[in-house]
Amino acid sequence: MADDELPITSLVMAAAQGNEAAWSEIVERYSPLLVSVLRQCQLTPVEIDDVAQTVWLRLVEHLTKLREARALPMWIITTGRREAWRHAAIGRRYQLRDPEAGDWAHGPADQADPDEELLRAERQHALLAGLAELGRRDRQLLLLLMDDPPMRYAEISRRTGIPVGGIGPTRARALDKLRRSPAIRAVLASESDCPEPMAQAEG
Amino acid sequence: VSGVNAHRWNDDDILFADLAEALGDVAPLAARVAAHAHGALAWRTVDSDLVLASLSFDSLLERSGNTRDGEGDDRVLVFHAAPLAVEVEVQTDRIVGQIVPPSEGEITLETVDGTRVQVDADDLGFFILPRPAASAARMRCETLTTRLVTDWFQL
Repeated sequence: MADDELPITSLVMAAAQGNEAAWSEIVERYSPLLVSVLRQCQLTPVEIDDVAQTVWLRLVEHLTKLREARALPMWIITTGRREAWRHAAIGRRYQLRDPEAGDWAHGPADQADPDEELLRAERQHALLAGLAELGRRDRQLLLLLMDDPPMRYAEISRRTGIPVGGIGPTRARALDKLRRSPAIRAVLASESDCPEPMAQAEG
Repeated sequence: VSGVNAHRWNDDDILFADLAEALGDVAPLAARVAAHAHGALAWRTVDSDLVLASLSFDSLLERSGNTRDGEGDDRVLVFHAAPLAVEVEVQTDRIVGQIVPPSEGEITLETVDGTRVQVDADDLGFFILPRPAASAARMRCETLTTRLVTDWFQL
């Protein structure tokens, strides 16, 4: 079924041919990952807007060069970090940045332990990259279930076409696909070798 | 919530809660970023003869981050598309550049705001552009043998 196919490859190919709907879906799916990367680089919301714009403009010209759509999340992470760093360096250089202005997405103060913060960011990126790759129906269902305040099952059913009784099982299958996405498998593999660095989670 | 714990992701509820938290952290900004990006595809280059010159050197990324740069130490960018390169120095109010190897040509600077400025490069490949106010720009370069467009770069 089309719903279950990995949509990213066809989205990238269609966008490279100028299909605007495919492009919009790519930016909808991957903006959370890009914003998460830029926030980790401690940009303000306004800076994130500017830097994200450059990243997307770059991607427009690189769509045809992405040999594999699977390379897209890594491309976004790498390009996002590099452009964030460039932006910070430009700011330092011309002293446009006003430390008094506040508005920091992540102040230095809330970084307790840099290692832990890094690990946390990697896990977040993996979750968001995994979500971006899910099939349309799975992704839509998870997004609706995450709505705050919670959406009623009847309404979710109306929007997705999934019977109320099928929402639970479909959620479980969607989460399983998420768990098996390359980004999350990579995190799980890297962390199964080493114990949790800080406080043990209580059972 | 103490944060994201990958080793507990075998549990559906924990995986879901961590996902919700990760998304919740970025959702409003991500929606705005996505909304601003919808039009970006209009910048797609459809001309198949046009070579994409990628940003291969940026002096900003080469120096150690905390040196306070002095005068005469402007940001240098190199865009490469074999056999040609475009090198520019971004100064306070202008962009001074050269086509390498030296060649006559035409340079167009376009910004994400939609402004375009066109100048000639002399027989040594030198050109001068006014520095635009926009946050992102790219250049088109046309010589007798090559037509290229550079990566977008932040200003």
